[in-house]
Amino acid sequence: MLGRFEYARPISVNEACRLLAEGGRDAAVLAGGTDLLVNLRDGSRSPSLLVDVKRIGELQALKTGSGEAIVGAAVPLNVVAENRELRQAYPALSAAALSIATYQLRNRATIAGNLCNASPAADMAPILLVLDAKLTVQSPQGTRAVPVAKLFTGVKRTCLTPGDVVVDVRMPPLDGELRTAFRKQQRIRGHDLAVVNAAAAHAPSRGILRVAIGSCAPTPVLLEPFETKRTSLQVLADKVIRAAAAATAPIDDVRASAAYRRAVLPVLLRRLLADVSARGGAA
Amino acid sequence: MYEIELRVNGHVERASVSAGMTLLELLRDRLALTGAKEGCGIGECGACTVLLDGKPVTACLVLAVEADGLEVRTIEGEATDGELSALQRAFVDAGAVQCGFCTPGMIMSARGLLQRSPHPTDEEIVEAIAGNLCRCTGYEAILHAIRVVAPEEVESRTGETCTKTARLLRSDPSVGGRP
Repeated sequence: MLGRFEYARPISVNEACRLLAEGGRDAAVLAGGTDLLVNLRDGSRSPSLLVDVKRIGELQALKTGSGEAIVGAAVPLNVVAENRELRQAYPALSAAALSIATYQLRNRATIAGNLCNASPAADMAPILLVLDAKLTVQSPQGTRAVPVAKLFTGVKRTCLTPGDVVVDVRMPPLDGELRTAFRKQQRIRGHDLAVVNAAAAHAPSRGILRVAIGSCAPTPVLLEPFETKRTSLQVLADKVIRAAAAATAPIDDVRASAAYRRAVLPVLLRRLLADVSARGGAA
Repeated sequence: MYEIELRVNGHVERASVSAGMTLLELLRDRLALTGAKEGCGIGECGACTVLLDGKPVTACLVLAVEADGLEVRTIEGEATDGELSALQRAFVDAGAVQCGFCTPGMIMSARGLLQRSPHPTDEEIVEAIAGNLCRCTGYEAILHAIRVVAPEEVESRTGETCTKTARLLRSDPSVGGRP
């Protein structure tokens, strides 16, 4: 038994918003449950109502046509990772999803759940940051777009409030030219949270490189874009490493020391840049 | 209390459950299906792996109410009329079962793999069972059991009789019959 609480399974976003707004701080969104149920079990969270959003149609949508790429908030990570179009366009998105936990957990854990937990180590955050993804958020007041870059406000904190339901994650139309990569430093291969993670997206013809870093600050960090034309890889890497050091503030925790994170971050970034500068490079 | 209805190993089951009951508790304590084990209770060890709508999940991290209307398959659904499935037989023959605590979860992860990828590569096998911890076997015998059963599972589905597992096991002296 995971405690005493009520359970609701709305089939529309409106109904979910209403339930969550009425429940306020005592209500919790239940998506994959791979973090929430663990928290219920250890008593670190004790909501009085769980609102299961998995059977709301819009939250299971997956669209990769000519327009924006749309991934429903409750789409499991394995489905994100195995989607052919997403995988072809952005191998790093697939790699980031597959780096999370185990096959069984990825059948439950969802794309928006990974973001909304707001763990500094969230593996989907860096890649969605560099892809300029936005969340569609619905509340009783209406619908708005929240850039992933604006979502995180602190460790385990987001700008979302009671009554907000994340409907989907939207990315700009799939761009075949974009080279993406994801790198994750962890204590053991598989089944571990990141000591440091990072993603990059490079558009060679436009000469723009975007880099984001996780596990090195209270929130995942998106660096200012870099100009890559007429810049050697060496010079570019030095610039990225300097910017990363300035934008992050690693701490000691159970997984690694701050000193180790500071030492490994430049190594990871150099590899990441090599990944996106080589033809078709990806982690 | 919540009234739920789900299919477990092909049988329709109805139950009245509180929201806090896990699918694992429903299976073990209400339906007396004690094959799935509770190891860690937090999705780390895989001993409670079952198929939910065909996909391996850890039943300790699924609420019973979440499974309402869905299809669950457990280790108890593997054997037919007392006959072990080819997959179970391969585990026995390969010496892939020692204390046995991880085995039901391990077999359900393997079942999920064979359903989505009838001819898995070694890499796919490793990835599929990476969420199932075993402290006895060292995994080699388990990998081998899944590796050798894969062709047989496919062929038996096409209706051909097949003793490939036995043949492969006999031809490989490094497995089978080990303590």
